Amino acid sequence: MDNPDPTRKVTPKTKKESLSKEERQKQLEFQKEAVVHLNSLYNYALHLTMNPSDAEDLVQETYLKAYRFFNSFERGTNCKAWLFKILKNNYINRFRKNSKEPGKVDYDLIKDFYHSIKDVQNDTSEAESDYFHSLLHEEVHQALHSLPEEFREVIQLCDIDGFTYEEIANMVESPIGTVRSRLYRGRKLLREQLEGYAKKYGFNTDKDQ
Amino acid sequence: MNCQKAQVLMSAAVDCELTVKEEEGFLLHLSECKECKDEFEDAKKTKMIIKEKIVQFKAPQSLFNSIMELTSASSVER
Ligand SMILES: [Zn+2]
Repeated sequence: MDNPDPTRKVTPKTKKESLSKEERQKQLEFQKEAVVHLNSLYNYALHLTMNPSDAEDLVQETYLKAYRFFNSFERGTNCKAWLFKILKNNYINRFRKNSKEPGKVDYDLIKDFYHSIKDVQNDTSEAESDYFHSLLHEEVHQALHSLPEEFREVIQLCDIDGFTYEEIANMVESPIGTVRSRLYRGRKLLREQLEGYAKKYGFNTDKDQ
Repeated sequence: MNCQKAQVLMSAAVDCELTVKEEEGFLLHLSECKECKDEFEDAKKTKMIIKEKIVQFKAPQSLFNSIMELTSASSVER
């Protein structure tokens, strides 16, 4: 990665505007492979930072780095997973460097977010009496964020972003067996949280009967 | 298969990550153990809730623009 690319010629100043054919090709490929995952990456960053402007910075840094090292991206593998890994590393470095407290949650901000989209996101059309359907987006979000980081992370990568166990194992740098058990325990914890909300609304959960 | 083994496989079963052989054993256990079957249903439901209820935001247009800019600008410099 550190070796200078021998195929890249030093472009004379006068030819600044016209990019080489390879550069333009790289750009197009990058847009097709990497930029299409912008929304997923942005949401991942939001979940990590809980702060929109930090999230934007993080995503920008990630794409800049990804573009620089795009040649080292293994073609045919999951580009989204590759980008997530870069973002995660950036996140860790950034919060270590600034010794900024990670997980400092701005609930008001998140709440605002949810209010602004509430009307648009009225998805569940069938009125099931199931208590799960009475849960609000905001509550599920809070329940998820109440979990210890190691559990929240795998649930998010699996259920929201749809990565395979192998990809998740690679991202969190743990064996697949660990991913399995974290998902198992994480979902269990989450369910307990959600049942707590359900009780608050006076729904009976199976366990009471 | 006992309950303990079934629990180890539970999440992978939810996510369709079991091998054919594991799945066979797992389903067999569920057919004779109500507790694990209920837990499996709960776990599947929990996954559904996450998928349905966690809102995905759209990245701001300004962010998209600056990324398009970044990736083309960095090719010009040096
Ligand atoms: Zn059992």
